[in-house]
Amino acid sequence: MKKRLLATLLCAAMAVTTLAGCGSDNSGASGNTADSGQTAQQSTDTGNGGQAAANASTEANLVFAWWGNQTRQERTEAAIDLYSQQNPGVTFDAQPAAWDDYWSKLATSAAGNSLPDLIQMDYSYLEQYVASGLLADLTPYVDNGTLDVSNVPKSLLEAGSVDGKLYAIAAGVNAPSLLYNKTLMTELGIEVPDNMTIAQFEDICKQVYEKKGIKTDLPYGASDNYLPYLARANDVTALFNKDEKKMNMSDSTPLVDYFQVYQDGAEQGWVIGTDIHAELQNNSVEQSPLVFYSSEASQAWCAFFWSNQMEAMQKVADEKGIEIGITTWPSKDPKKSNFLKPSQFFSVSRDAGANEEAAVKVVDFLTNSVDANNILLGERGVPASSVVADAISPLVSETTQEVTRFINDVVSPNCSAISPAIPDGANEVYDESNKLVDKVLNKEIDAKTAAQNLFDKGNEIMASK
Amino acid sequence: MGKKKQTLHHILNTESAAGVICTLPFTIGFLLFMIVPMGISLYYSFCDYNILTPPVFSGLKNFQKMIHEEVFWTSVKVTFKFAFISVPLRLVFALIVALLLFRSTKMTGIYRAMYYLPSMIGGSVAVAILWKRLFALDGVVNKIFMAFGMKEPISWLGNTKTAIWTLIILAVWQFGSSMLIFLSALKQIPVSLYEAAEIDGANKWQQFWKVTLPLLTSTIFFNLVMQMINGFLAFTQSQIITQGKPADSTLFYTVYMYQQSFQFGNTGYGAALAWVMLAIIALITWLLFATKKLWVYEGGF
Amino acid sequence: MHKKRKIGNIIYHVLVLAFGLVMIYPLVWMVMSSFKETTTIFTTATKLIPDKFVLSNYSTGWKGFAKTSFAVFFKNSLFISIAATIGTVLSSAIVAYGFSRCRFKGRGLLFAAMLATMMLPAQVLMIPQYLWYQKLGWVNTYFPLIVPYWFAIQGFFVYLMKNFIDGIPRELDEAAKIDGCSYYTIFTRVIFPLVKPAMITGLIFSFMWRWDDYLGPLLYVNSTNMYPSSLALKMFADPSSSSDYGAMFAMATISILPAMIIFFTLQRYLVEGISTSGLKG
Repeated sequence: MKKRLLATLLCAAMAVTTLAGCGSDNSGASGNTADSGQTAQQSTDTGNGGQAAANASTEANLVFAWWGNQTRQERTEAAIDLYSQQNPGVTFDAQPAAWDDYWSKLATSAAGNSLPDLIQMDYSYLEQYVASGLLADLTPYVDNGTLDVSNVPKSLLEAGSVDGKLYAIAAGVNAPSLLYNKTLMTELGIEVPDNMTIAQFEDICKQVYEKKGIKTDLPYGASDNYLPYLARANDVTALFNKDEKKMNMSDSTPLVDYFQVYQDGAEQGWVIGTDIHAELQNNSVEQSPLVFYSSEASQAWCAFFWSNQMEAMQKVADEKGIEIGITTWPSKDPKKSNFLKPSQFFSVSRDAGANEEAAVKVVDFLTNSVDANNILLGERGVPASSVVADAISPLVSETTQEVTRFINDVVSPNCSAISPAIPDGANEVYDESNKLVDKVLNKEIDAKTAAQNLFDKGNEIMASK
Repeated sequence: MGKKKQTLHHILNTESAAGVICTLPFTIGFLLFMIVPMGISLYYSFCDYNILTPPVFSGLKNFQKMIHEEVFWTSVKVTFKFAFISVPLRLVFALIVALLLFRSTKMTGIYRAMYYLPSMIGGSVAVAILWKRLFALDGVVNKIFMAFGMKEPISWLGNTKTAIWTLIILAVWQFGSSMLIFLSALKQIPVSLYEAAEIDGANKWQQFWKVTLPLLTSTIFFNLVMQMINGFLAFTQSQIITQGKPADSTLFYTVYMYQQSFQFGNTGYGAALAWVMLAIIALITWLLFATKKLWVYEGGF
Repeated sequence: MHKKRKIGNIIYHVLVLAFGLVMIYPLVWMVMSSFKETTTIFTTATKLIPDKFVLSNYSTGWKGFAKTSFAVFFKNSLFISIAATIGTVLSSAIVAYGFSRCRFKGRGLLFAAMLATMMLPAQVLMIPQYLWYQKLGWVNTYFPLIVPYWFAIQGFFVYLMKNFIDGIPRELDEAAKIDGCSYYTIFTRVIFPLVKPAMITGLIFSFMWRWDDYLGPLLYVNSTNMYPSSLALKMFADPSSSSDYGAMFAMATISILPAMIIFFTLQRYLVEGISTSGLKG
């Protein structure tokens, strides 16, 4: 037990060094790594320090909105309760919602200038909210010490910044993860290497299909994830050029790779088709063909997810006696494609007004307090603060520890900076791309045509913005 | 003084005053809660607007955009197909079942509940999931068809020709509200009319055609108008089950509108879509009302 | 003759029952699933009967969200639905009477306005309505979910009752008029008692629709302890992390109960002998 604890601590300690490695500039983060060797004890002090500072604050009732499931509601509520205990006078109105509803409601309250004080933000909405001036600039609070980001890797701070100003603090770290049926692969004697190229990946897909008739679940209805991932390998880090209102490329070539995978799968027969997907709840862990199938034809050996979903997947897989493995998404250049992504952020809204400082203090608390994170337990992903990540690592489940190892040892040393947050119009382009994937899967068009169509339509959509 | 009071009382008791006063709740409600929001949304339809930033007037741009959007026309076609097939089917089912369940037996209460229950669960995520399971390749529907000799299971949800039918069947399955309305209308038909018909020697079948159906026409008309409006505004079925897939073959107009308004940041365009829909429904409703005289019996008994 | 009737009766019951079972099969599936272990719901989706009956979904579901148990969500739903339904039924009855029995200037226009409010997709009014209720200071209260319904803004119910009142013989009005009734006392003494079946139908619908409505509460209710169950139900599923379908099915099952109880207690008014309405031919 003790040995494992030590091992995880070491891993987590490494995280700091390597997380920083994904930033475009490491110099800022290097100073922080020194502290990370010190253990939980010191980080508890950080928590107390935050508490002392917050004690001085006045009364405030903060509205805090987030999306997520039951576990998240429980833990977040317990954490903010703790904050209220430590800071009498600060109370919370919790406003949880389901993902879709969350964004409809947030947009509506933005129209009414009544955004919640504290907002759980997603990377895909960050740019639009900042561009519309809806989020408070957190930079001054970092400068005056209210918000302590000294333990947050620079790469994560950059992800939460737009035009050099900090608007959002990562709540947890995620990596693109290919979850696969380890039990099956052992049985077939196939090794699944990390950092696979597309050729290697397709070779495995073929083998599994030939030997067992079991198929491959390529990302479906999820062009927003895998399309930019593959485009990055072609040196297109941003798909959209907001200023010039067009797709950020001279022709459709960088998009072909993406559709080519689907075309190969459809031609060689190993891909799960549109008919199976039509029967599933899109992107739901519980209904992924990896664990939910009636025959080989609807079963998949792998599925494209995010690292924080592995735990849920393993839980469902246990029922079928399947052990889940985790590796990177295939790409012809894994180092260029791969990145670490804040699973979500905490932001303070423009409408917080007099509550702004009080809200920032809560963000500081959620980021730096070990006590708070002992409750949250990395449910939003590996905590952004390296000190906190270290402190809680002994407490989290074995699967989560494996995820942490994956992020630290596999992804971090071999990744590039995250692509810029997507502008208004991008979702419409991705929707178009999803429809084109359907056509490729049904062999109505080939990859080149699909890429060309997407390029044309994308330019049209961006021009209308 | 007393005389004046009497006149006021008298004025209040005229037919037109009574009409104005009785309908006053709606008039107030309309002015207070509807007219302003409707006005704002009409204004949005002439604007570039994405919710997050204030609207900017852009003239007829949104309406012109519609004409050139292929998806717009697809969604119009899908919606017309859905409404014109599901509504009559729903009404026919509702009427037949209402007639069957009008007779009073010990079981009637339970039967009615059975037929009404599906309408009760509405359009929750639970319905979406169970509907997909039902029509899955290994689902019950395919099993039944294969028991009757079908060789290969059909991918009902994955085929552009069949997917819309799963939604139509869902709509027909939830015929409960129309059924209840028919039931309460059936109850309103006086027994004496049937007695009279029986004395005249009419059998059950003739009674249905001569008494029941004519007296139900106004209720049928009511259900038809309401369900037509509902059919054109149908949203949940497509939104939670198919999201328009496959290949936009189940993309309801309102789902298209919702995507544009809330997911793609084209909220002004979405508002324009809504007002065009209002015009379409208004036209159809007007057509229905125009035919009303031809077939709806509106006299007393 | 007697025997033939008996056979006919048996055929009737068998047919109605068999078709009824087809109707409720999907619901039975949902209820049965709520007793399965949550991780096995989909893996055993083709089986109707759970391998092992468990109640854990009900206990986890009932815990609710963020310290607020489902009991609170149900209480909120009950309050909103009942308050809005009473308003809808009463106000719609009066307005319907006005439309049915009185000719007045602007009647056609008003009726058209009523139909028009039904023709605009609800989703497009979300933002404008929010802005307007915010001006009224009604955000984070139940007012937007209840008050408008006391003003008969749902044309469906007005039209439903108008249609029903149209079917009540005018001779009854005339007779009451001769007895000295005003337009208003005709409504309270003659029409109101007779329009009951339509009001009960309306009540059943309105309760159910208010209960299921989540767009309104989503926008106007800001704290968890004010959420209705419709909103809470959706939070069991989160595609970005994981979902608890077992708990969702369990709470969805319980959610149908109030509407079912109302239906069962009230539907007998739709069955009862025709004679009670006491109409003359």
